[in-house]
Amino acid sequence: MQEQPTARRPGELVFTLILLVGSLFLLWQAYGISGFAGLSSAGAFPMAMSAIMAVSLVVILATVLRRPAPAAVLERLRKDILPATVVVFCGLILVYSLALDWLGFIPSSFLFLLASITFLQGGRFKRALGLSLLSIICVYVVFRLVFQVVLPEGLIPERAIIAWIQSFFAAGN
Amino acid sequence: MEALTYLFSSWIQPDLLFLTALGAFAGIYIGAIPGLSVTMAVSILISFTFSWEVNPALALMNGIFMGGVYGGSRTAILLNIPGAPAAIATSLDGYPMAKKGEAGQAIGLSTVMSFIGGLVGIVVLALAAPAISEFAIKFQPRDYMLIAVMGILLVGALSGESLAKGVFAGAFGILLGTVGLDPMTAEQRFTFGSVSLMNGISSIALMIGMFGVSEALLQLHHLNAQAVKQKIDRIVPLWGDIKRHLSLTLQSSGIGVIIGALPGTGGDIAALMAYDHAKRITKNPDVPFGEGAKEGLIAPESANNAAVGGAYIPMLTLGIPGDAVTAVIIGALFIHGLNPGPLLLLEKPDMFWFTVGNLVLADIFMLIFGLTGIRIFTKIIECPKAVLFPLILLLSVVGAYSINNSVADVWWMLGFGVFGYFMKLYGYQVAPVILGIILSRLMDDNWRRAIISERESLPDFVLGILTSPLSATLLGIIVFVLFTQTRWWKRRFGAAPTSLDAVKSN
Repeated sequence: MQEQPTARRPGELVFTLILLVGSLFLLWQAYGISGFAGLSSAGAFPMAMSAIMAVSLVVILATVLRRPAPAAVLERLRKDILPATVVVFCGLILVYSLALDWLGFIPSSFLFLLASITFLQGGRFKRALGLSLLSIICVYVVFRLVFQVVLPEGLIPERAIIAWIQSFFAAGN
Repeated sequence: MEALTYLFSSWIQPDLLFLTALGAFAGIYIGAIPGLSVTMAVSILISFTFSWEVNPALALMNGIFMGGVYGGSRTAILLNIPGAPAAIATSLDGYPMAKKGEAGQAIGLSTVMSFIGGLVGIVVLALAAPAISEFAIKFQPRDYMLIAVMGILLVGALSGESLAKGVFAGAFGILLGTVGLDPMTAEQRFTFGSVSLMNGISSIALMIGMFGVSEALLQLHHLNAQAVKQKIDRIVPLWGDIKRHLSLTLQSSGIGVIIGALPGTGGDIAALMAYDHAKRITKNPDVPFGEGAKEGLIAPESANNAAVGGAYIPMLTLGIPGDAVTAVIIGALFIHGLNPGPLLLLEKPDMFWFTVGNLVLADIFMLIFGLTGIRIFTKIIECPKAVLFPLILLLSVVGAYSINNSVADVWWMLGFGVFGYFMKLYGYQVAPVILGIILSRLMDDNWRRAIISERESLPDFVLGILTSPLSATLLGIIVFVLFTQTRWWKRRFGAAPTSLDAVKSN
């Protein structure tokens, strides 16, 4: 078990409160399933679980409140909890998952790798370009060709290309 | 006789042989690279092995599991950064050994002892599982419920900051598992009128999010940590060393199997307990503990690999995972239409014996790859983080997408990833959530069966528990675990657990 920190972590109080409100909402929702119809009803078990969640959060909240508030909250929030790298990365993943269906696996993944590698190593575009190309080829060969995972096709008609290559070799034989 | 053919089927089929070797090899590196974990690798891989037969998928995962538990020791010895939680205790004496220029010795010894530990775990699995599953047929529904509660509680109590946080995480996971149509009455639970929620929340998306994305996001905090290099001498250990420490290895392996077999506790706790045990029984170590004692390296390493075999025991006999990795593997088995439980050994003995044989194979490959390829190892470990983390996130997204070929699962994964990130930052553990979502169905079903058989009477239900020796014992353990978390207990017996705390917080 880890040691309890002496001061509250920045944002910890808000996080605990959000969880508590969420648990109470779920408890109310669980009550809505079948009310107090019986111990074996569909809602009894979820109700018990959401109640346990709420009670444990009250205990957590009590301990959180007992500890002194952190100093320089905003600054530490930016440094320890949500550093710029993490925020930018979440954004990149979000854009990537949106583009996946629309652009297809190869172009969207390539752009994602290129953007994130360039960002993480702070520039050096040519190196990032090479690394992304290498990575995307490896991933494609391992997962699409060896593991046969179906990946979103999007703009590049890869299935047609693979079929064409296969027929080309078949014709050659 | 038939069992024997299943036992060795992965030894003679080239594709299975290859996948096990690949798994063990990849596992060693995944375990060794700080920030990558076996749980992460197995969760991401599940979605890629959907379309496979069950045996190849299992072969790959067994290999990764076995190799990964061992792999963590490498970086613990060389860099003083345990690659995995199971290797925390290893760094205590492994790193001082490396500093004295005995890195090769340390690696060699830990490899061979991990191998022996792994083997002991598998032998116990092979011997104990059939007996336990025969016994488990007599289990009442309430016993299953109690075992599941015990497992989640143990994970919650032993890891993370406080019991309350562990309990919250466990209950949250169980609640997530109830989303969708109720399997008994087809009533909607937490669907909010959405059709896609009727099928429930994909546990795979949850696993990838919580073990993959959240961990990768967390690792972005320490991107610029520099690795220290060590000189490595001969790896193959001296025969005399092995012979001298064999007794300790076997004892530690015993601890490892038992801890591994307890639902909810795995290699990390087994390793710490074995380290403690070694410290107690070694009266006059050549080198003091903490300064490079070989005993302090051998005990945790044999215990954590022995825990692998142990963790399979409750998974295959009761359908209750022994730790986070087996929770993920059980998720994979569900997808392949298998329902682990006491009947698995009767209905599908081939699956069981295949697993046993395959684990031995994985253990052997671990030994081979562990004693060779140290040069490639130092190269791979230097793999730039700027490439590694984008790749993990890419595989997470692709993995979540390929569950149902839909972006919806990617959203869930991202949501859980970000949520898991905050949970970890604020001292909550994610393992109880995963255990919860996996065990939710089993607990819900058994709770209802138990209470219906008592004609919905809570007093009769409690009386039933108290009058049955097995149920009463299980309840006793649960109460005991809860009791050890009280302030009174901690003040009274604070010394014993804090020695583990000190080790863990390193």
